Amino acid sequence: MPEQHIVLRHRAIPHLDRLDVYVANGGYVQLKRAVTSMTPAEVIDLVKQSGLRGRGGAGFPTGLKWSFVPAGIDKPRYVVVNNDESEPGTFKDHEITLSNPHQFIEGAAIAAYAIGARDVYIYSRGEFWDEMVHLKACIAEARAAGHLGQNLFGTDYGVEVHVTPGAGAYICGEETALLNSLEGELGQPRLKPPFPAVAGLYACPTVVNNTETLANVPQIMERGPEWYKAIGTEKSPGTKIISVSGHVARPGNYEVPLGTPFAEVLALAGGVWQGRAMKALLPAGASAPVIPAETAMGMNCDWESVAATGSILGSASFIVLDETTDMAWVAYKTVRFFQHESCGKCSPCREGTFWMKKILTRVVHGEATAADIPLLGDVVRQIDSKCFCPLGEFALSAPRSTLAQFEGDYLGHVGAPRP
Amino acid sequence: MATNGSAPKLVNVMIDGRPAAVGAGTNVVDAAHAAGVEIPIFCHHPKLVPVGMCRMCLVEVGTPGVDPATKAPILDDEGAPVIKYFPKLMAGCTTVVSEGMHVRTGTPAVAEAREAVLEFLLTSHPLDCPVCDKGGECPLQNLTMRYGPGRSRFVWGEKFHYPKPVPVGPLIALDRERCVLCARCIRFEDEIADDQVLGFENRGRGMEIVSFSDPPLDSVFSGNTTDVCPVGALTTADFRFESRVWELESRPAVCPHCAVGCNIGYDTRHGRVLRVMPREHDAVNEIWLCDKGRFGHGFTTAEGRLTHPLVRDISGALVATTWDDALTRVAEALKRTVAEGGPAAVGGVAGATLTNEDAYAFGRFLRAVVGTNNVDHRPKVIADDSVHRFGAGADTIVHALGAGHAIVVVGLDAEAEAPVLFLSLNKARRQGAALITLSTAPQKLDRHASHLRAVPGSEATLLAALVRAALEAEYEPVDGASVPSGALPNAAVPNAAVPSAAARVLADRLADHGPAAVHGVHPVDPDAVAQAGKALASAGGVLWIYGRSAVDAGLVPLMAAYAAATGQHGRAGTGLVAVGRHANAQGVADMGLTPDRLPGHARVDDAAARERLADVWPSLPSSEPGLDAGAMLAGGVQALYVLGTDPVGDDPALDLRANGVRTLIVQDLYLTPTAAQADIVLPAQSAAERDGTFTSLLRRVQRTYAAVDPVGHARADWKVLRDLAARYGDAESFAAPSDVFDEIARAVPAYAGLSYAALGPAIRTAPTDIFLPFAPLTEARSVSYIGTRYENRHGIGAAWLTPAEATYAAGDTAAHEAVAADGGEDAFAGYAVAADDALHAAAGDDLVLIPTAILFDAGRLVASSTVLHPLVPRPFVAFSPFDALQRGLVEGGRVRVTGAGGTFEAEVVVQDGVTPGTALAPESLGIAVRAAVGGERAGRVRVEVVAAGPIERGASPTPAPRPSSSPSTTATVTPGQI
Repeated sequence: MPEQHIVLRHRAIPHLDRLDVYVANGGYVQLKRAVTSMTPAEVIDLVKQSGLRGRGGAGFPTGLKWSFVPAGIDKPRYVVVNNDESEPGTFKDHEITLSNPHQFIEGAAIAAYAIGARDVYIYSRGEFWDEMVHLKACIAEARAAGHLGQNLFGTDYGVEVHVTPGAGAYICGEETALLNSLEGELGQPRLKPPFPAVAGLYACPTVVNNTETLANVPQIMERGPEWYKAIGTEKSPGTKIISVSGHVARPGNYEVPLGTPFAEVLALAGGVWQGRAMKALLPAGASAPVIPAETAMGMNCDWESVAATGSILGSASFIVLDETTDMAWVAYKTVRFFQHESCGKCSPCREGTFWMKKILTRVVHGEATAADIPLLGDVVRQIDSKCFCPLGEFALSAPRSTLAQFEGDYLGHVGAPRP
Repeated sequence: MATNGSAPKLVNVMIDGRPAAVGAGTNVVDAAHAAGVEIPIFCHHPKLVPVGMCRMCLVEVGTPGVDPATKAPILDDEGAPVIKYFPKLMAGCTTVVSEGMHVRTGTPAVAEAREAVLEFLLTSHPLDCPVCDKGGECPLQNLTMRYGPGRSRFVWGEKFHYPKPVPVGPLIALDRERCVLCARCIRFEDEIADDQVLGFENRGRGMEIVSFSDPPLDSVFSGNTTDVCPVGALTTADFRFESRVWELESRPAVCPHCAVGCNIGYDTRHGRVLRVMPREHDAVNEIWLCDKGRFGHGFTTAEGRLTHPLVRDISGALVATTWDDALTRVAEALKRTVAEGGPAAVGGVAGATLTNEDAYAFGRFLRAVVGTNNVDHRPKVIADDSVHRFGAGADTIVHALGAGHAIVVVGLDAEAEAPVLFLSLNKARRQGAALITLSTAPQKLDRHASHLRAVPGSEATLLAALVRAALEAEYEPVDGASVPSGALPNAAVPNAAVPSAAARVLADRLADHGPAAVHGVHPVDPDAVAQAGKALASAGGVLWIYGRSAVDAGLVPLMAAYAAATGQHGRAGTGLVAVGRHANAQGVADMGLTPDRLPGHARVDDAAARERLADVWPSLPSSEPGLDAGAMLAGGVQALYVLGTDPVGDDPALDLRANGVRTLIVQDLYLTPTAAQADIVLPAQSAAERDGTFTSLLRRVQRTYAAVDPVGHARADWKVLRDLAARYGDAESFAAPSDVFDEIARAVPAYAGLSYAALGPAIRTAPTDIFLPFAPLTEARSVSYIGTRYENRHGIGAAWLTPAEATYAAGDTAAHEAVAADGGEDAFAGYAVAADDALHAAAGDDLVLIPTAILFDAGRLVASSTVLHPLVPRPFVAFSPFDALQRGLVEGGRVRVTGAGGTFEAEVVVQDGVTPGTALAPESLGIAVRAAVGGERAGRVRVEVVAAGPIERGASPTPAPRPSSSPSTTATVTPGQI
């Protein structure tokens, strides 16, 4: 199955990041159509019909999320674009921001209209510094051309789009921590409920959507929900950008219909490098349990199929690991990442990741004893299901799955006989 | 709780098989506590908003199952609901109860989770319990004992280390290795104290508590952070490494520093007070204490204290003598004076820090034994019977007020004058009470209040405008429909009198003084006054809390008139509250230490009172009022007895000898400037050395107990006065303070029925930590089950009822109406709606100087604390940025301020919020601020620049020197002579 570019349209249309090129290719027509000829409820219905699901990781139905914004609250509403893209191995939003920015800006403006928001905040990964300069220029250009701003298309409706940099914290990709950060507070997750749809940014109703999710919206509007639903699988319609990295010949973003077999995605990326065999796959960056090669090769790439292997599709950042990879080292690398990124709010994550890092450091440096391996398992179990937010649970994915499936890699480090 | 609001809806839950009915919105931890089940916690605190950070409170939670198709409850074979448990453990602190919820805390999953969380918290803990001040009263220790793992699997050498400890503020040390990052300290300062001074820095395991204020931890409530800290991370400067806590003996007491009446414990070892801790009192201080109360215990040491009675020797020096000799000399001197000039030649002035027993004994001695009405106290905030007649309901709990209540704070800087009252006001505000402040100076409470700024001298017109606006709003036709005659909105409140006639009379009287009249006079928008008036009108209860500035400005009569005329007094959350600057300001007034009032606020010529006292006292004084303190100090008497107050210290220019006082007797803790002028000096006992009772600003009579032995030969005041009376042949022989109190209960009607036995102690009723006094006077309960130590086993005291309140309670409608009509009239008669043009700053270059209160003043009570003393600022005057610019005044520069009554020099502070044309100068910083303005509440002054810029730029502020530890050079104390 070949790639299908709904979001990565710039691959076929050069200079799509330029407003004139974007407009020449149907840009901002759908925003105008929504604002001038559709009610917000109609827009939400259309997105619901398409079956679009969130691309940030959880795969929550986008139209449903928009419909959660309660009516009759006399407060401003906000759309926040989660452009924080911090998951290791994920680089899809970066490409969208650089090469096809207007499409997600238009999608965000349509979302704003649908929920009655007049402000959109794009919370962008702090390292995307030059990209944000570019993004702001694009927004200013679109606004000057009358595609954004007040009295849009001659109506009373208006929407402003703002860009805010993050400050380099993984946790700020979690939507409530993102909102805290956006407000200038410490980047720590909030207690839910209330959910952002009811009390989000500045305690006002807020929809937080991923960049890729919103970039789908103008195309869904243009071609219709039926067209979109026909792509992908029944439960996972549409395409998904898969960021493939690791031990492959051609790492990069590949936009494929959901449900595409993993083997085809691997083939698109040129297969495992240096003619080696694959050992395992990290399907969602550092956050997902590893999938052994044989399981991965029989797996399709959609939420349901990946979940059936015991892992998660998440944001679909596929890190391919070849046969030479030490899986204890993989656990060490991911745990080190999560320890560094733990916000410190809840004790199991704060102290547990610190402890796991200490143990795994000893393991990979050959300083561990055989007793450290079951201890690591105990610490994993002690953290399990006790954390305030999902980050702490994500930190367990790699050590737990590697201990279960590649225990030999650990035992090799402590000099114990392999089973 | 004796509440000021309606009871919340109850929700039935089952915790480990124990049923409990708790208020809707209660979280699972608090509900379990109510059911007698402990759920261990670190980050949760019953006084703070839950955050769910530590994960110690994970429990199994289930709710009654519901059939998804029919929505009907799923029942088992016996018809009981089937409980569906959540698959994951839930954090109890952030899970709110719902009807029929079941909670299991004793399952293996919960036990494993607790052990896991504790093991995590201990991974980086230094385990230095043997040298930790918290050891022995540490929740981390206790919970580890109960729920933790028995061994440590974390490699010791991999622990996270920090330099320790670091000062996080001047009074608090932080040990980051012990910190479990629960944020209780941050949340206390933010939510309770409204001080945004603490926060987290960094993240993950590197996260630490930091103060981002300048100066650091800039809060007068910082000590409470050490109480709420569940580990040894925060410790106090005064107690570090002083003692193991189990070696302390804790003695219950009432804080002597201000009128709130916070319940404290003096923790002593080997007869020394090592620290002061709060005791829980849910109607007074909850579990809080200000830093003055906590750290200001230096007066309990012997340093600088008088140890013997002193008399003048032949050379005029003060020398030590025996009590017998000193008292004989006092009696002889007073008798001689009476023989020459009659009883009116003798007078007495007391401070407002005396216990009720001491104050009563003082008044009794002077009136019933010597026979003079020259009795007064200073500073005097309760100068009339307004509180006695229109006081707040005895069951008023300020921090229980919320939506539907309005609180007007008049002429009071609550944070400086009664800090824990500030916390209560802040809590009431958070709970939805409308807060209005009316004052001439800015204060922290203004942040969240409708602030009405008055021009000094014309406060009366602004208060009149507020009252007029309130009455106007109450009668204004709403949407065309006039409010039915006789039905104020307050009629909805149970027991509310509905005295529309009296209120209409008052409204008419103020017809020309409505909000429009403040335009151009006060720096406040007339609309803001009208809005504040509406808030009063629409409130179910209006509470007036006022301080000395309001009394000096003559504002009390109108507040009283409003309370009387609208029936807004004598019920919870309504009426007047006077806030004196000393611990027993209310009590000394109750005891009759005013020249025109007998004990119980009766006029000296009141026949009923005289009849009552005739049965109690050996003789009665004349029915003519005596001289007030000012007149006595000005030489109105020949023999003056000064007890526990220092008029010369407040006004160094005061020369009592030159004024004509021939015999001066001073009884005090220290050789004060007043004592230095005395003929006879008697050593008094400090608050930590005596038994007695204090009456709080909400009229709660509370017992305080001796914690340490008296210093030297210091004696209780009531004993000294008893022994003096004996030298007059008085047969009354009080053996203990309880005997004095029993006589008070006979002499003061409001205290009738009270006794030491009735005021305490309390018993503990296991297992819910609810404390009940033997004789329930008002309800008390405990909601604080984690912290250093809050237990209150010593009674909660009793607040006395105003006479009107008693008639309200009896449902005597006619009596209310009479109170409304007569009371409103009487009270208003004392009010002058006048502007004092002389004080308006418009003319010339003069400014109006306003003496203000400051918490950490240079007074002996603060100065005697080694940790508080450095926090006393150098004397300063605060100017508005406008005036500073106009006059070229620079922060840190120096000015000379000259008023009608004197001159002083002080440092320049430029402060936002100061009204242009005025300047603020804190009293009691060692300069005679109030004397400079002629003893008034404000006065015109000339300001001259002495030094334009900061004198010692970059140098750390050096506070006024501590008073030397030995008595001043005018005295030679030679105890060896005894």
